[in-house]
Amino acid sequence: MAATLEQARGAKDEALKVFSRFAPVVGIGIARVGDGYGLKINLREPPDGKLKLPESVAGVPVRTEVVGAVRKR
Amino acid sequence: MKLDSARDLKHQLTRTLLHPLTSGREALSLALAAQPRSDAAGHHRTIALGVARKGRSGFHLAVRVQRRELENGDEVERIRKRAKGEVDVRYVGRLVKRATPWHQKENRPLRVGGSVGHFRITAGTLGCFVTSRSDGSTFILSNNHVLADENRADVGDAVLQPGAVDGGKRPGATIGKLARFIALKKMAANVVDCALASVDSSISFNASNLDGLGAFEGMGAALLDPGTEVAKVGRTTGTTRGRVTAFELDNLIVGFDIGSLRFDDQIEIEGAGDEPFSDGGDSGSVIVDADRMAVGLLFAGGDVGGANDRGLTYANPMLSVIDALDVDLLH
Repeated sequence: MAATLEQARGAKDEALKVFSRFAPVVGIGIARVGDGYGLKINLREPPDGKLKLPESVAGVPVRTEVVGAVRKR
Repeated sequence: MKLDSARDLKHQLTRTLLHPLTSGREALSLALAAQPRSDAAGHHRTIALGVARKGRSGFHLAVRVQRRELENGDEVERIRKRAKGEVDVRYVGRLVKRATPWHQKENRPLRVGGSVGHFRITAGTLGCFVTSRSDGSTFILSNNHVLADENRADVGDAVLQPGAVDGGKRPGATIGKLARFIALKKMAANVVDCALASVDSSISFNASNLDGLGAFEGMGAALLDPGTEVAKVGRTTGTTRGRVTAFELDNLIVGFDIGSLRFDDQIEIEGAGDEPFSDGGDSGSVIVDADRMAVGLLFAGGDVGGANDRGLTYANPMLSVIDALDVDLLH
């Protein structure tokens, strides 16, 4: 499953709402998925291990990564 | 083990086990050349303790042994027992101070990638040279937090090369003045962290050479697809390579001294191989694609994430930077 660039852009706001319930979202961007696009959700800390994270939002595939705190360099 | 547990154990063992090992009496029991005792106590090789990652979420004690005979000795065995086996023991041998790299020294002519900064900050990176679209005058491009101290500087303040942490002092290291900056916003999303400094007429510069990469070729494409290979030259880590992992990254929350700020429309990059793409002090580096065309201005990063788990780096889109400052790249 992959989405077009426009579909990925259009799913960002909804994905931010959905994933903020699991852990602090510190970035939501567009990544490559197969031949198309998907969303990359950056979480500051690991979500509760018992919770199952969604694999897509509005038909757009989602990949999550725990990235910790981001600081100026 | 958890990070706090690893830190506590490290402090306990440093006090109870390593300190006696490095005291004067113990130092003299080692085969040291005749030298002042004060020197010997500080310089003979023993064991260093730290904390290292174990997997993606755990930690263990990092034990760095500087003498072969200590590797399987009583001290390491006691550390291993106290840590219940959660140790990473490595022989590192004699450590020597590394020569200071060019990007942390004075550069005349000025170079892309060298140490630079407002006189009150530590140091960041001289990104590149630009010209004003209105009058053609030349400036240095870097971050607001490098040249304008996160909005706290005044236009006209001295900019140093190298930056203060690399020994730059006024007036000798002053190469120009803060000329313009885009204010960092606390209550709204930011897109850029950028500023310009003038270059004194007596200071020469090389705008075209990217150390280890080749000639700077100017402005790159607006859209940067994930997987695109990129590189940068920075004050701390020098020339590094990486790849884009995401673009149009919104809601990026970055810690500054003035608070946590939100950035939208950013570029995310991971380091190639086993190395991080950037570290503290690399802020302001211009990020180029494989054709050495500018695509981003490095400004933030973290220590976790990426395929090699050496952290992710974040950059403003270069097109947004030059439009915000109303300049063109000089190359």
